[in-house]
Amino acid sequence: MTPLNSVGHREPRIDALLRVTGKAEYTGDVKLPGMLYARLLRSPHPHARIRSIDTSKAAALPGVRAILTKDNCDTVWSSGDTLGQRKLFNNPLRFTGEAVAAIAAVNRHVAEEAMALIQVDYEVLPFVLDVDKAMEDGAPEIHPGGNLSPNNQRRREPQTYKRGDAAKGVAEADRVFESSFTSSHHNNAQMELRTSLAYWEGSKLTVYASTQGIANCQRDIAKDLNIAEPNVRVICHYMGGGFGNKNQSHDFDLFAALLAKEAKAPVKVEFTRKEDFVAVHGRWSSKQSYKIGVKNDGTLTSIQMTARTGAGAYRKSSCDLSGTEIYQVPNLETATTPIYTNTAVAANYRAPAYPQGVFGIESAIDDVAYALKMDPLEFRLKNMTRKFRDQTPYTSFGLEDCLRKGAEAFGWKQRWKPVAGSGTGPVKRGAGMAMGMFGSALGRSSAVAKVDAKGNYSIHVGVTDCGTAAKTTMGLIAAEELGVPLNKVTVVWGDTDTCPYSVGESGSRTTVQTGEAVIAAVKDLKKMIAEKGMPTGTNDLVAMVTTNPAAIAGASRQSFVAHFAEVEVNVETGHIAVVKFTAAHDSGRIINPLTAESQVQGGAIQGIGMALHEELRYDPRSGQPLNAGYYGARIMTHMDAPKVDVLWIETEDAYGPFGAKTLGEPTIIPTVAAVGNAIYNAIGKRMRNLPMTRERVLEVLA
Amino acid sequence: MKSFRNINPKSLTEAARALQDPKAMVAGGGSDLLGMIKEHIVAPDTLVNLRAISGIDTIARRGNTLHVGGLATIDSVSDHAEIRQRYAVLAEAAGQVATPQIRNVGTIAGNLMQRPWCWYFRNNFPCYKNGGTTCFSITGENEFHAIFGGGPSFIVHPSDTAPALVALNARFRIVGPQREREVAAADFFQLPTVNPAKENALASGEVLAEVILPEPKANTRSTYVKVLDRESWTHAVVSVAAVLEMNGAECRSARIVLGGVAPIPWRVPAAEAILQSKSLTEALLVQAAEKALEGARPLAKNAYKIPLTKATVKQALRAASGLRA
Repeated sequence: MTPLNSVGHREPRIDALLRVTGKAEYTGDVKLPGMLYARLLRSPHPHARIRSIDTSKAAALPGVRAILTKDNCDTVWSSGDTLGQRKLFNNPLRFTGEAVAAIAAVNRHVAEEAMALIQVDYEVLPFVLDVDKAMEDGAPEIHPGGNLSPNNQRRREPQTYKRGDAAKGVAEADRVFESSFTSSHHNNAQMELRTSLAYWEGSKLTVYASTQGIANCQRDIAKDLNIAEPNVRVICHYMGGGFGNKNQSHDFDLFAALLAKEAKAPVKVEFTRKEDFVAVHGRWSSKQSYKIGVKNDGTLTSIQMTARTGAGAYRKSSCDLSGTEIYQVPNLETATTPIYTNTAVAANYRAPAYPQGVFGIESAIDDVAYALKMDPLEFRLKNMTRKFRDQTPYTSFGLEDCLRKGAEAFGWKQRWKPVAGSGTGPVKRGAGMAMGMFGSALGRSSAVAKVDAKGNYSIHVGVTDCGTAAKTTMGLIAAEELGVPLNKVTVVWGDTDTCPYSVGESGSRTTVQTGEAVIAAVKDLKKMIAEKGMPTGTNDLVAMVTTNPAAIAGASRQSFVAHFAEVEVNVETGHIAVVKFTAAHDSGRIINPLTAESQVQGGAIQGIGMALHEELRYDPRSGQPLNAGYYGARIMTHMDAPKVDVLWIETEDAYGPFGAKTLGEPTIIPTVAAVGNAIYNAIGKRMRNLPMTRERVLEVLA
Repeated sequence: MKSFRNINPKSLTEAARALQDPKAMVAGGGSDLLGMIKEHIVAPDTLVNLRAISGIDTIARRGNTLHVGGLATIDSVSDHAEIRQRYAVLAEAAGQVATPQIRNVGTIAGNLMQRPWCWYFRNNFPCYKNGGTTCFSITGENEFHAIFGGGPSFIVHPSDTAPALVALNARFRIVGPQREREVAAADFFQLPTVNPAKENALASGEVLAEVILPEPKANTRSTYVKVLDRESWTHAVVSVAAVLEMNGAECRSARIVLGGVAPIPWRVPAAEAILQSKSLTEALLVQAAEKALEGARPLAKNAYKIPLTKATVKQALRAASGLRA
């Protein structure tokens, strides 16, 4: 791989100093004169119909400026579900924490006091929390037509994939293995709470949002409030994470805008941590069953997977499961059925369909390897994908190197025990690994490249930087293409009035999609300079290009990953410690190894948290969430986080900016499975349910 | 958050008088109290802030007892040279409370009087602790609840320093509006059968002013072992405070107090008796650990606490005695 000048070198974030000195102004830091504070009254019941709401006492409280309920607001929050039907205020209420009223007042105290003065007459309805119980006859119907959630075509059917004939593959197999796994709903748990500040100047709406995509946010707000897009300005200069739950416009943006209109003053909406956990969304839960056919020599003949996933009270995303695509197998059939329950909504969280699906298939495959007395690494090398869906070649393929070189760097041969659970003493060590792949979503993006007479360049891109260092990445790409150092390039971001459209920081596509627009804009600018010469006086040269890469014909572009974990399990106390972790990633050329390493470390640590701790728990009798928040969810602390060693497998790839493939989401894909497989290797017992808590470890060992 | 009035009394007696108002609550470090007000678990009209009272945050020796002021921070207790040396179980327990930030503002009295962290209580269920007449854990989600001493409430006492102080045979000085009293740590904590809404014997209008540590016997070795659900910042899933008075390999006397298993720090005299006047061996420690869990009555989802607590008792006794497994 040819070394480059700016790209490929460890570069601190261009805003690092502002962030760590507290000078970066996040959405929650913005204060405007006359600003009101908003609070949300939320459903105390998992399922209830509102007979009536009386807001008169709250409205009479001095300092209350606006109250919205279903009685005076029927605005649709179109990105609140895949069908575009969910309203800001719904009746019946379908989960504990669903919005009942929004109140704007002169300060937080008054807004909270007013909440208590709103009188709601609820007709409490029967509720259901579990996906299997939701499918039983006579289960409470959460939406008209039943609890099997309809897809975008409004058909109530599972999402399926099929190649070959699974029954035939089973018939051809020497041995057939069946197993089941479950995973739980857990929250994205990003650091920055949900907040939005909106104000109107005539017909122009400005929203300070906390968003992964200012353009998406602008588009969705304009659509839902029925105003022209240019009349909506969305600003997000610094954001404190979302991991997929700040992709589109959110109800808090709409609440802020509508309350601001009603109150004729700027309104700031703030959610508490608890609201963030119960009222936004987390990763969908799953119950998965596998049937795997294999020859005695370890060749896969068939994989079947059937699953139910927990959509929560509204279907806000695919609720699908991924993972089986990583295997070469002639007969593959999968069917995933999303189910409504009266629980928090489930939607996008870093590789939404993957870590739980990969936990299932990679645990099941691990069992097969042990049963055949094969090294799980060798089994994977034998059966890993070589063509996408066994058919389409990859633009570049680093999976084999992720496995081989990752294993070598990790010390697989020394750490993996051929006989699981064979360690002596109460503290047992074991090693496990798992693999995955991920293709970036496509999307249109624009970039503006500018140069002034002094030779100062600037790049305008519509990114907010949801934590990936996207601003710095865009600057590095521009600097490389311009042939100037990064400090000669000013990056302008985070404001729809000053930045062109960008697809939004989701689907791991900012580097590979918006990055293409930056390159194209810089190329145009260079052409202009070549034709017209550098600008003089106060003139600028400006180039703007929109790119919209099509799917590559005849090839599949994927990033590949293998994670290796070593754990210590105390069989007397059930305590699990991840003591060594190696992450091997093929994401093509790495633009900025410093921030890319942080991505991998963050993703792996999130994955370990998902593996060992995180789950939103409900009281079965009342349908109330019990452990919402950082304390209850047992989010990983620094002391829990192992050192994550990152190994780059930089394949040459002809596409993307300088051959970069995607990275953000692959970082969590195989982590959970690798930890589970390491626990198996340590104790000789398979953990089939997430999270793999101390209680569950002691249970399987009892 | 509900608005409240803040008052700054200049003496404990003045504070105690103010606390006779049933709508007043005492504020030490405030780290948990403010959270509870925000979560609408408590709604005081008045906070009686103790931080304006001088001299109640000190740690000082008087004769052969060590006096720890109620307002001494948890951090200062964990970091105090004499406590670390002579009352190791307390220093270790204090050092494992919550997070460094909370230990820096949280007080020893606040830690001892901390309300339960049962998720039903903290989520405003109308349980005994919230003035109701039910314990929702009995038929609900109960893996963190009591296996000893439960009924009618099955909370576990959340304090790390409480088992340590019971094991050290500490006494608490309590100041009321008219008079002071002293009570043994073991008598301060009360089972829910006494009053299921409360965890201790502090009456309304009383303030926990001081913790008094007796002179440790010669050759006393002690330790606190806490099992957390992650490496920091959870309450004890279970914990063990062990204080052994040794004479060479012989144990003259032992005090073993369990945390995270009962509504109060749970002393296990039968297990202590096994060690008394014996030369300690691994087999004896195992026997004591088994004995310590005799009579445990798990709920549907917390039977795992029995093997976990046994393992933790063994670990604590090994650490305190210096025996290796």
